[in-house]
Amino acid sequence: MGRLSRWTCVALASALLGACSPGTGVDRGLSKDGSGVVAAIAGEPDQLDPHRTSAYFSFQVLENTFDTLVEPDRNLDMRPALAERWKVSKDRLTWTFTLRKGVTWHDGSEFGADDVVYSYRRIIDEKLGNAWRFDGVEDISAPDDSTVRLELEKPMYNLLSRIGGHKGLAIVNKRNVESGKIKTRPVGTGPFSFDDYNPGESIRLKANSRWWGGAPKIPSLTFRFIPEPTTALADLEAGEINWTDNIPPQQVERVSQNEDLELDTEVGNDYWYLAANQDRKPFGDPRVRKAIAYGIDRKSIVQATQYGNASVNQLAIPKTNPWYTAYSPYSHDPRRAARLLRSAGVRNLKIDMLVTKEYPETVIAGQVIASQLEKIGITVKPREVDFATWLDKQGKGEYDMLMLGWLGNLDAEDFYYAQHHSKGNFNFQKYSSRKVDELLEAGQKESGRKARKERYARAARQIADDASYIYLYNPDVVQVWAPQLRGYEVRSDGAIRFRDARLAD
Amino acid sequence: MLRFTLARAGHAAAVLLGVTVVVFALMHLVPGDPVRVALGTQYTPESYQALRSASGLDRPLISQYFHYVGSALTGDLGVSFRTGEPVTLVLLERLPATLSLAFAAMVIAVGLAIPLGVYAATHQGRISDTIVRVVSQFGVSVPDFWLGILFILLFSSTLGWLPPSGYVPLTEDPLGWLSRVIMPATAVGLVSGAIITRFVRSAVLESLGSEHARTARAKGLRQRIVRSRHVVRNAMVPVVTVIGVQAAILMGGVIVIEVVFAWPGLGRLTFDAVSARDYPVVQGAVLLVAALFLLVSMAVDLLYARIDPRISIR
Repeated sequence: MGRLSRWTCVALASALLGACSPGTGVDRGLSKDGSGVVAAIAGEPDQLDPHRTSAYFSFQVLENTFDTLVEPDRNLDMRPALAERWKVSKDRLTWTFTLRKGVTWHDGSEFGADDVVYSYRRIIDEKLGNAWRFDGVEDISAPDDSTVRLELEKPMYNLLSRIGGHKGLAIVNKRNVESGKIKTRPVGTGPFSFDDYNPGESIRLKANSRWWGGAPKIPSLTFRFIPEPTTALADLEAGEINWTDNIPPQQVERVSQNEDLELDTEVGNDYWYLAANQDRKPFGDPRVRKAIAYGIDRKSIVQATQYGNASVNQLAIPKTNPWYTAYSPYSHDPRRAARLLRSAGVRNLKIDMLVTKEYPETVIAGQVIASQLEKIGITVKPREVDFATWLDKQGKGEYDMLMLGWLGNLDAEDFYYAQHHSKGNFNFQKYSSRKVDELLEAGQKESGRKARKERYARAARQIADDASYIYLYNPDVVQVWAPQLRGYEVRSDGAIRFRDARLAD
Repeated sequence: MLRFTLARAGHAAAVLLGVTVVVFALMHLVPGDPVRVALGTQYTPESYQALRSASGLDRPLISQYFHYVGSALTGDLGVSFRTGEPVTLVLLERLPATLSLAFAAMVIAVGLAIPLGVYAATHQGRISDTIVRVVSQFGVSVPDFWLGILFILLFSSTLGWLPPSGYVPLTEDPLGWLSRVIMPATAVGLVSGAIITRFVRSAVLESLGSEHARTARAKGLRQRIVRSRHVVRNAMVPVVTVIGVQAAILMGGVIVIEVVFAWPGLGRLTFDAVSARDYPVVQGAVLLVAALFLLVSMAVDLLYARIDPRISIR
């Protein structure tokens, strides 16, 4: 080792020691300009093309950069976004959207009806993941620059939530897509525009002063990817970040007692369920599935997995959603469960239950459920696999029972049709009931909200009675932030919107 | 020297080719489908088929493999399934964070291990030797993520001295980098350092008892000279090997520490890529790590000759 490198080592060592002393070299600035918001999310977006990603972390960022034609308000009712108003024809087969005037893309170019047609056609023609949301849409056209027309095969009363309930239906910029830059440098119309990306570390957005909803009050919004909750909380306490949703359920109580932090929760719109594979014996027999539904104690599952930060529910839709129906046919009743098993002639039942560490609640619930069902003579063997394998097994039907959650549903149809209609795309448990099929189809045709709600409520009750899904709970949306962050609201759909946020001095 | 380098390069190429076969086979053998992961839980069979053929996954495995190796030879490691970015670029973006953490951790590890190991060996049997042995045993056994979280709670949450996490490039803001690298580097460096300390101690002990050390002392050389010129230098050959292995392991990324400190290194990238079955990125990352390993082992071989003139490189 030469003399120079020896000195380099000495210099480095003293610098290392120097950095240990208080107050030196620590950048406590919240962001580069000191006035933006830094939000910590638990993982990195895979890509920023809203049409191609299905990753939750991507949508956390994209919620702030892209717009849809309509969007859910706080009560999850659809309200104007890029479309200022809309009209439905008498036969309910033509929807005409009038677009907001003067909207520009982040690159300064003008937004128009062609962009909407291009975006929707892209999803349909390239058979992207969200193409199913356009099932029943016959034609999309732009009669003039501020009008978009959707022609339907049959009336579709939840069209608004289909095109507005999910940022995967965002309106994208054709040049941005064709240049291939949308994956890493998206151009949207939303309240914040893309500024900078440090792979593995952070994404920085800046305020779009020309946003149609009014310029955001914070100059920048940085999303940092901090997977470890302890670290995220330490960063929040140290003032390195202003906001995070990376709080494990067991920490919620402790954090809520910290007066230097604001914690808020809202009953979430997501739901977690058990599903038994009805293609496999004996799970085709509803008595066996019902025995499981009576054999489990939802309250202790919620306690073990969510430390109580969830609402027990025996249907999918939570109280905060306008489509909520109250219904709880099952109580924790091991005797009744045992009787049902006996009447089905089932003895010494062994269940292979798929769980995955990527959703740790499934692993914990698997253990709780195993101990509960043991009391009625069912042996549950939780099989822990990674989520990629899990999806594979679910797709191929290689399981007896599984637990998972559905995220991001708004309309009643989203909660029940694809999962329980005998021809539903996501009916992996192979449930089939003519009555439920008819009710779900009727729900699509019905025009009045009250009548629709009634159809879906009846379908949902039947689904629960047949235990197609054994519904467990709706987890709370929990977010925590520094008190300087004002004007931010936790939403039950989990969408993270910083458009109205500001930082107090 | 040239012959040695050429022979090692040929050897390295064969190893790398073997690595591509193994990784390719393993990734395709384990269950899990990148298309299903990319589409999530909501998709139709048509969407599935469209993405599958767009990713080239509908072609026969053998043809996929030869296509991959053919492109890799020209430096093209393919395109990430998840981000659509060239794998070479994805890897290069993460390399500075990984290398700078590995470097800082090795400075700490070696800086602690050599003095402590030599000290313990030269004070064999005394209380100070016992302390070094117990502490290094503790260092070997303690999980680095636990140490990392402990550091965050102590130095960030309680004392407020250091930022809990994050990364800034060394070239942009050296002090910012230093304040952020010090905790992860120490957490990793202490564990590596403990392993190296034990090697240094036993190598020095062996060298102390060797005949050449006895001869040197018999010649009347001062104890300090005997130790620094004859004992420690001779003990360094096995030590350099261990240091090389440790450095190579760190360069491959330290997943858990990267997760704890939100450090954008290769470990997290590879872990995420495996979870998403992003074959091109996994293959690229494993190839890169294998290449780094080979480079380090070649450097170690070259160092042997510098340390011990009896070893010649042919």
